[in-house]
Amino acid sequence: MKRTFPWPTFWDMAALLLWGLMLLRYWWSGRLAVLLHPDYHWLAIGAGWVLVLMALWRSVGLFQPQTKFDTGAHMALLPRQWSLMVLLAIAVFGLIYVPRPFSSDAALARGIADPVGLTRSQPRRFARNTPPAERTLIDWIRTLNVYPEPDAYAGDPVNVTGFVIHPPDWDDHYVMVARFVLTCCAADAYPVGLPVKLTGDRAEFPPDSWISLQGTLFTETLDGQRRLVIAPDEVLAVPEPKNPYEF
Amino acid sequence: MSQLNQGLTLFLSLLVEATPFLLLGVAFSSLLAILVDERKLIAYTPKNPVLAAITGSLFGCVFPVCECGNVPVARRLLMQGAPSALAIGFLLAAPTVNPIVFWATWVAFRDQPAMVFWRVGLTILVSVIIACIFSVQKDLRPFLQPTIARYLPAPATQPEPALVGSGSTLLQGGDFLLQSTGTLKLDQPMLATIAGAAVLPQQSWQAKTQAVLEMMLQEFRELGAVLVMGSAIAATVQVAIPREWILALGQGPITSILAMMLLAWVVSICSTVDSFFALSFASIFTSGSILAFLVFGPMIDLKNISLLLTTFKGRAVMYLFVLAAQLTFVFTLAVNLYTSW
Repeated sequence: MKRTFPWPTFWDMAALLLWGLMLLRYWWSGRLAVLLHPDYHWLAIGAGWVLVLMALWRSVGLFQPQTKFDTGAHMALLPRQWSLMVLLAIAVFGLIYVPRPFSSDAALARGIADPVGLTRSQPRRFARNTPPAERTLIDWIRTLNVYPEPDAYAGDPVNVTGFVIHPPDWDDHYVMVARFVLTCCAADAYPVGLPVKLTGDRAEFPPDSWISLQGTLFTETLDGQRRLVIAPDEVLAVPEPKNPYEF
Repeated sequence: MSQLNQGLTLFLSLLVEATPFLLLGVAFSSLLAILVDERKLIAYTPKNPVLAAITGSLFGCVFPVCECGNVPVARRLLMQGAPSALAIGFLLAAPTVNPIVFWATWVAFRDQPAMVFWRVGLTILVSVIIACIFSVQKDLRPFLQPTIARYLPAPATQPEPALVGSGSTLLQGGDFLLQSTGTLKLDQPMLATIAGAAVLPQQSWQAKTQAVLEMMLQEFRELGAVLVMGSAIAATVQVAIPREWILALGQGPITSILAMMLLAWVVSICSTVDSFFALSFASIFTSGSILAFLVFGPMIDLKNISLLLTTFKGRAVMYLFVLAAQLTFVFTLAVNLYTSW
């Protein structure tokens, strides 16, 4: 008697395997950093391996007659084929698509130009002792959060790296150097940034390109608010860092 | 194009962050469903309604299930003679008050650890109140679907012995199962029936492992699909709806709570992963509304109403829904208005 191919078992296996491979692929290709805080990479990687192992377990069922287990308590909400199709489709998509870090448009849409939004972060560790030249963008923003008077920092040396934003209301000499900050995953990313007064036109540094700045801070009125602005001595175009976020 | 990119990155990041917790959740609920014997637990629980309600709401620490796994467990508890306060307390609190959800919420809200404690505390409070209200109804049977209700004892009557002597069988009414060890009376409390049954089938550990894996797969398949849809909605809302609208809605102390409760009800995302979903709104919505999402969502949502209806009658589900919604609303509004958090 010819045994029919166990398609349901096969689709289960395929969904588990592809879903697991999708997680592992982000790890292998280094894109996990775009999606998750580094503290939680191990969780996603572990889940990937578990799914692959479950797929292996399921594949055993392809070669031996399956006994049907009645797990009783379970009640289906979605028909099994639908759930499988959704899982398979997303896994295939996830395997093909390369996630990109958020762009300057996203930062503008989330209101980066508005300094009020910066009060969201509640620092657990206050890096006041960091010398100014070693502070990252998020260190600066946290410092400003604790003591917001811009004049207190005028003249301080600054050395930061971030991507370029062209806020539409600012004139052509100004850009913003910005970073997204993560606490958990890209879903809670919020942008922070400092204005930069360039000597030339901002067209030289297109939006979303990455720059590294060295210079000093001064105070200036922008959009009707007194703000801390970077006067750069040197602006270098740099490649996008492996981990585009700050924490 | 950049918006599409942003939406897809958001979507994938939610999936990648939530998948480990979902796996952990289904693994635990499957393990416990197969391995733990609720009857022993029931035997040790207090009979006083308030204490039973508190015990029930803390049962989640032993049965880490999400809101899809809790209905079957609550049903088994009821059928095995647990006090109604215990079962209702469990039903409402278990999806939130358990170690996995605690951890996931902690991971998601590292910046606001208070959120974790508010979430757990408020869930226990709301569940205990509702469980106490339900315990006033001494006989829960009118609230249950007939198929479940017939397993429950009437409050005052003594259960009959399970195995009836062959001589008297014909004189008693009811459903009987004829088996080699004697006649089993079906329409009486499950507890008595099981206690009377000669031997429970013992499964080998291979069979148990197989059953656990099978159940994990089933739940992952289904909840994974729900997670995909939930993440898609969260990503779309963040990217597609103009920020001013969301800000206007999210900053009002009342509108924000109503909006998040409605969202929780519609999205029906599993409680092990809902904190990541809520996180994506945390910067714009009031803390009270995020809390409302995290407390109300796991209790009642669109998805688990269909599950609840397999056990409870429509009227009882309505009571549960209205009570949970009102209490959550009142408490989280108080959080918004009277705490600076």
